[in-house]
Amino acid sequence: MSEPIEIAHRESSVLRISVRTAAIMLAFTLVFTALMAGTYRVTEPLVAASALTEKLRLIGEVLPPGHYDNDLMADAITLSPQKALGLNEETRLWRARKGGEPAALVLEAAALDGYSGRISLILAVDVEGHMLAQRVTAHKETPGLGDYIDPKKDRNKTRPWITQFSNLGFDTVPQKKWKVKKDGGRFDQMSGATISARAVTNASGRALAWAVEHRDKLFALPANSRFEESKP
Amino acid sequence: MTRQDRDLLVNNSPYFLQPASVQSVMLRVLVALLPGIAAYVWFFGAAILVQILLASVTALAAEAVMLKLRGKPLMMFLGDGSALVTAWLIALTFPSIAPWWLTVFGTLLAIVVAKHLYGGLGQNPFNPAMVAFALMIVAYPLLMSQWPGVDATDFAGQWEAIFGSRQLDAMTMATPLDALRTVLRDPEQRAVIAGLLGKHATFGNVGGRGWEWIAAGYALGGLYLLQQRIITWHMPVAFLATLFAVSGAFALYEPDRFAGPGFQLFTGGAMLAAFFIVTDPVSGATTPRGKLIFAGAAAVLTWIIRTFGAYPDGIAFAVLLMNIAAPLIDMYTQPPVFGHKDKRGDSP
Amino acid sequence: MSAYKDIAWNGIWKQNTILAQVLGLCPLLAVSSNLVNAVSLGLATIVVMMLSNFAISALRAFIPYEIRIPVFILIIAALVTGIDLAFNAFLHDLYMVLGIFIPLIVTNCIVLARVEAFAAKNGLRAATFDGLMMGVGFVWVIGLLGAVREFVGQGTLFSGIEMIFPQLSGIQILPVEYPGFLIAMLPPGAFFVLGLLIAGRNWLDSRANQRTREQRIHHQADHANSVPA
Repeated sequence: MSEPIEIAHRESSVLRISVRTAAIMLAFTLVFTALMAGTYRVTEPLVAASALTEKLRLIGEVLPPGHYDNDLMADAITLSPQKALGLNEETRLWRARKGGEPAALVLEAAALDGYSGRISLILAVDVEGHMLAQRVTAHKETPGLGDYIDPKKDRNKTRPWITQFSNLGFDTVPQKKWKVKKDGGRFDQMSGATISARAVTNASGRALAWAVEHRDKLFALPANSRFEESKP
Repeated sequence: MTRQDRDLLVNNSPYFLQPASVQSVMLRVLVALLPGIAAYVWFFGAAILVQILLASVTALAAEAVMLKLRGKPLMMFLGDGSALVTAWLIALTFPSIAPWWLTVFGTLLAIVVAKHLYGGLGQNPFNPAMVAFALMIVAYPLLMSQWPGVDATDFAGQWEAIFGSRQLDAMTMATPLDALRTVLRDPEQRAVIAGLLGKHATFGNVGGRGWEWIAAGYALGGLYLLQQRIITWHMPVAFLATLFAVSGAFALYEPDRFAGPGFQLFTGGAMLAAFFIVTDPVSGATTPRGKLIFAGAAAVLTWIIRTFGAYPDGIAFAVLLMNIAAPLIDMYTQPPVFGHKDKRGDSP
Repeated sequence: MSAYKDIAWNGIWKQNTILAQVLGLCPLLAVSSNLVNAVSLGLATIVVMMLSNFAISALRAFIPYEIRIPVFILIIAALVTGIDLAFNAFLHDLYMVLGIFIPLIVTNCIVLARVEAFAAKNGLRAATFDGLMMGVGFVWVIGLLGAVREFVGQGTLFSGIEMIFPQLSGIQILPVEYPGFLIAMLPPGAFFVLGLLIAGRNWLDSRANQRTREQRIHHQADHANSVPA
């Protein structure tokens, strides 16, 4: 006689426990999500500032701060994917000006023929067509062999390999000499690890030529506009 | 025990045609390496002999110290010659003009870490010489890719390179495998592999200049080992045939990007690997079918690492990877023991 | 008091998360290529372990048994996210180095293991202390690992300290001509050094065991001798 009642009772208690558990779970989720959201709010401006500092630091490695006085982050344009720069994605290009006059372009480029794939570069080219400096921002070259293209890994700390490009243009090194010595050019390479050096050298030569060719148009575009032209 | 006692002993299977002591096996392995070494000296100078001496002395000293530390009888194990074989293989796989400490350090790692820390002869799961090569090429990739150029056989210069601190650039040359990669990656040169053979300074008629003769020397020594029944045919044949088939297939498919089988077999350490390295009885597979699988898979890995990997020659990595798989291969290729029923069937 | 001594001894040696339990290897191997990175990640882990042990011990009465695991993970994830954001905001250079491994502390099984095995069953003070000591056990081993790898790999110690204290700089211990041993800095080196550390721990333990056994035998022998014939 009492059985159905007991089952009903048990069912209702199962239901009650489930609801109670779900409610507790929900409460915990709400409280801790709120905590996370709060932390995010508090740190957000700091994080954004750090990211900006990081970007400026990277640009600062190729473009000394004394070379410009404008707000680089505001004076940037978007590039459509430029095959000549080895890029398959949109990138930003920053325009440095001093006293309102064009001073230098900071752009990204890539070498797709590294020993282990893509090598990403950032470089600054001044208005006379000289490469102020370039740096490797990402690569997968063999540790200890090809990674000397990154000054952090280069064992020559006083004069890292990548600095030999600084302040050179096609007026000092003719374009057809913009190669590693092994290929009959001007630039040193480490014997036994030519491929990495060759990839960076050739990519930087292409990027320099591209920057020189499009310089006037790039400086003339309004800020935050888009550069479309892509030559095969 | 006397001779008579020994004759009365009945060994368990497998029965060998002639009971071979470790010592006499190792001695004949060393003899079999001589033709390759002779070709090495002919083409690249006597530096390789200095390296062999360095590696041998280091190996014997390290072996003696480790045996003493482990409380094992010194003369019995030291005299078996296995440390010498490891030492010679290290010397032959390292660049012959490597600085002395590179060879010494590599040999120490092979004997102390790869051999004795894993339990000594017969217990080591990895081929000690290949451990030394893999560790050193990862640790010192630049030094490990400084190979002597053909005709740069001036011994005084080589001596200076090994023991001095001279800049090596003048006398070094990339190995054919490295040179091939460098050429193939050059977007402007767009070289055709077939056009390189016989013309480029680094390449010979089939493989690398000079290297093809060294490889032939190793093959000759390998045939001697086969004739002496120190190794069976399975491993060398499986290794070389697989490397031939894989590289041949890809070279047919795209001859501009992939080197053909002749080049693959006669450059780098392919021949040395086929007869002297994959055949290591301790760290490899032991069943007949297992040997075929082991050596064949090692050849495939060698080709893959040579072609796509970050380091020039893939043999050391290929062999070490297969060493890991060797116990599993053995387990699945155990020949059925006579008299046992097949697991699946009810009737014998 | 001796309970706390046990907790400390467990965390630092007997139940050491790395040397005895061999847990949390992913960050351990990836971040220990030098001393500064290793200790930084270790300290972040200590903070997470203390806070999560504290929080869960405090809330343990409210957490139904059936949903304890999701709640634990939720709490740990919230704490780690907070620390991740704090690193990003205040120690950005270090954040760039430690990268993905700070958020991955969530998946470090040590944290969940201690919460489940200890904090959920013990009082606030003991639980927090356990988190601290397990963390200390983690930090000294990862620190040692980092120091050995950095020293062997490039002959320096404390390189990269300027990311935390800009006025300090790393110490070059071996001469600059030291060719380095690159493999120690790469992932295989982490496995080698960790293997040697674990072997070292086992050796010390077995030696200690043997000594106590010998002492016991001696003691018995002495005892037997002292009994007059």
